[in-house]
Amino acid sequence: MNSLIATYGRPLSALFLLLTALWAVGLIALPQAVMIERSLWVEERDTSVELRINALYSSLELKRFDLADAKSEARKTQVAEQIATLEAEIKTLEARESAPRKVYTLSNYTRMSSLHFTIFLKTIAYALCVTALSLMVCYPVAYAVAHLAPPTRAALMMLGLIVPYAINELLRVYAWLMILDYQGVVNTLLAWMGLVDFEARTWIPFLESSGSVFVAMVYTYILFMVFPIYNTLETLDHNQIEAGRDLGAPTWRIHQRIVIPHAKPGIAVGCLMTFMLSAGSYSVPQVITRGKAGDWFSQLIYRQFFESFNWNVGAAYSFTLLATCIGFIVLMMRLFKVGIRDIAK
Amino acid sequence: MSRASQLILNVYLIVFFLYLFLPLGVVALAAFNAYPYPSVTQWQGFTVHWFAALAQDSRILTGLWHSVLIGLGVIAVSLPLGLSGAFLLSHLQSRWNTVLYSVLVSPILIPGILLGVSTLIFWGSLGFGAGLVTAILAQSSFIASYAMLLFLARLQRQDPTLEDAALDLGASNLRVFWRITLPFLRPTVLTAAVLAFLQSIENYNTTVFAIGADWTLVTEIGSRFRFGLSPVINVIGVVFILITVAAATAYVLVRHHELRRSHAR
Amino acid sequence: MTVAAALAHGKDVDLQGAAMRFGGFQAVAPTDLLIHAGEFFSILGPSGCGKTTILRMISGFLQPTDGRVLIGGQDMKGVGPNKRPTALIFQNLALFPLMSVWENVAFGLEARGVARGERKRRAQALLELVALGDQGDKRPSELSGGQRQRVAIARALAVEPAVLLLDEPLSALDLKLRQHMRAELRAIQRKIGITFVYITHDQGEALTMSDRIAVMNQGVIEQVDAADVLYNQPRTAFVATFVGEHNTVPGTLGATHDGVCRIDTPLGPLHALNPHALTPGSPALLFVRPERMRLLNGATKPPANAFEATLHRRDLEGAFLHLHLEAAGQSLVVHQTNTGTVPAPGTHRLGFEPDEARVLPPGALAHE
Repeated sequence: MNSLIATYGRPLSALFLLLTALWAVGLIALPQAVMIERSLWVEERDTSVELRINALYSSLELKRFDLADAKSEARKTQVAEQIATLEAEIKTLEARESAPRKVYTLSNYTRMSSLHFTIFLKTIAYALCVTALSLMVCYPVAYAVAHLAPPTRAALMMLGLIVPYAINELLRVYAWLMILDYQGVVNTLLAWMGLVDFEARTWIPFLESSGSVFVAMVYTYILFMVFPIYNTLETLDHNQIEAGRDLGAPTWRIHQRIVIPHAKPGIAVGCLMTFMLSAGSYSVPQVITRGKAGDWFSQLIYRQFFESFNWNVGAAYSFTLLATCIGFIVLMMRLFKVGIRDIAK
Repeated sequence: MSRASQLILNVYLIVFFLYLFLPLGVVALAAFNAYPYPSVTQWQGFTVHWFAALAQDSRILTGLWHSVLIGLGVIAVSLPLGLSGAFLLSHLQSRWNTVLYSVLVSPILIPGILLGVSTLIFWGSLGFGAGLVTAILAQSSFIASYAMLLFLARLQRQDPTLEDAALDLGASNLRVFWRITLPFLRPTVLTAAVLAFLQSIENYNTTVFAIGADWTLVTEIGSRFRFGLSPVINVIGVVFILITVAAATAYVLVRHHELRRSHAR
Repeated sequence: MTVAAALAHGKDVDLQGAAMRFGGFQAVAPTDLLIHAGEFFSILGPSGCGKTTILRMISGFLQPTDGRVLIGGQDMKGVGPNKRPTALIFQNLALFPLMSVWENVAFGLEARGVARGERKRRAQALLELVALGDQGDKRPSELSGGQRQRVAIARALAVEPAVLLLDEPLSALDLKLRQHMRAELRAIQRKIGITFVYITHDQGEALTMSDRIAVMNQGVIEQVDAADVLYNQPRTAFVATFVGEHNTVPGTLGATHDGVCRIDTPLGPLHALNPHALTPGSPALLFVRPERMRLLNGATKPPANAFEATLHRRDLEGAFLHLHLEAAGQSLVVHQTNTGTVPAPGTHRLGFEPDEARVLPPGALAHE
């Protein structure tokens, strides 16, 4: 901090501090905190108040009849006074009713239905599978690009990785929608083979299964595994591999003892990113199932906000997902013995 | 490496890259099919009709305009934030450094929908309705983290004696920043701006939660998957693919060239 | 020379009990040091001895934790590096890579609000002073090591400093260029007459260029003297072993007469100067330079100190012979001019005059 002031002076340093604080607090910490706070209360309407108001309204009606029937002036003023009292009471009660009480409770979490909880478990389980499969598929690719291919071929392969990575996520999902659609590529192939019949609508409804969401998720997020691993493998001195081979180590042992230990931070980051993206993916289930199959957890959250307008439950579901992801991050950092610093880039 | 394992690896790589590119090919091809539902199997002849249809689709064009507005807004918000965070982190020498670092990179590590949700709730509680502004704020919270990592990496390669030398020659703090620090960071500022813009344009998961009733190009595409799927989407896909291939080729060429040069030395 | 005339006169630098502490580490002990105006002053010491810290206290990048720094009689407390009448030449030169050579030189003037035309004119004059008049439009990266060195000098001189601080600026150059630049630096200093404070770990640099030299070790200045005094009359064990080579023999002091004492050593009783007037019975180290000792083979008049030693290695270094001997478990080195004959291995008689050797209190030695 002192070195910052020494170099850039007080006004600029204060500006840096202010902007960072705005970001850390205003865009990161406070929104998360408010979300968590929101998940911890419910609005309770007092039903007894509602009954009492209804009762008051009926007696008010009666009094109005009385007022119309009243013969003497004295009776009229008396009834008019009673009406005024009733109206005042209704007013105060209605004010209480329209401002429902805010009650702090864990019920937003505990009242998660077993269906929703199953969906949560399914989402997390599939995200773990996506992560594991991506790791297995990507490690050889990252290693090949970083260490086996001659420079020009490596550059070409790099291009082959960047292009699909940079193409919009939705379009990557969309590709699998077209492939797995009722009259999509796969079903058409099956039809040519005479296995399904479009006229009789006996196509296989891939889109209605969780499996197709899984397939599309792997395709959409697999490259988030390649690049972190590639980035760490690129910094591995190739001579280390040669030395290992020269000392007579078989390929699997070179990977076990030299390559994988070096790639650990990259593997950790790749797993974190892939898991986080899959567990929190809204686009893939939304596009692939098109509402024809069961929801995923991200869709449940969306519904709480934009269909049920139950933001408190939405916040609770969001925090559940957040806590799961933080737990996964901590787990990976312990497992791979990497610090938060290694997760840069 | 033995010939057999070399062969296995090559086959594996070919299969992998086919897996990456064939689905994109399907998307691109369907853009030229006259059949009104996106398909490559019900081929009804080659057409560029859908390109014309795209040019007249006002919701998509408005979405594109919104995307550009949000992208520019994200550049304007996330670059100063990321730069400030990087300056602070590169000069803060205590355990607070790790704490601050963790907070500032956390938006990268948590699901995008949560950034959208928390922005929606927080700014909603302050009376801001969901719209373009909340979309900018939600996207900036994590795009600033990426910008910060870029700036941090660049600052670590900076020779700190340059700033000292400028001070010693009598420059004011502001002049040091303006004449020495900022010119050194200029290439990174450009890179960060381009990346921030691209990430903003591409973003779906965060935006769809934060934008409310408004829409961007990408959220509009997202809603078309439910209602009104047509080859117009594939046309957008073709445009995306062409732009991406061009940009990625340029990037790889530059990088390849730099690698060559550093090897030559 | 118009440029030289335009430069301000040198100012003195006065450290009054100035000290620097980083946490629990005392980088510089409280130091009193007066560097005279117009002097070429070197601070010589091994890496980590605190010499760069002193330089940074003078330049203003560090504020002393104790004591004060005065430049030209003015207390510099609270005055930042950009407000001091000093200019620093960095070890890595710190030329601005994105500016042209002349913009580098003119940067200090730019910071002082001098108009562009005037800046360019003055930068050009300075570039000519350092013989780079035709290189102004290049980038620093296009210049050779020696040229970059001169750009750094010109850039520092452009702000007309009263004190020029140099932080091992020659360390990146090869030997030939370094020797050339020594002469050039000395010439520039003579010409413009401002104070130079030169930091180095290279005693050759310090001895050849400086008016006076401070030898520093572990945050303490051990001795401040002119080069010849420093070499011939070191006052501490560290200075004796850091500046030039010395044979070191431990012993116990005997009586002193007329400044010459007896010291009992493993080589037997020897006689040497006792500049600190150490008292009899105290432990001490005897220092004698390799070139002041000689083999006494057939010498007509043997010196007062003489003993037997075994010669086991002879290194011919061109004009000099380096003889490595051993006597009573003590390693000794003798340098003699190469007269064409090389002494044979085996036992020789060795000796030196008492006024060629000094007895100093035990203390830290400089290890190579």
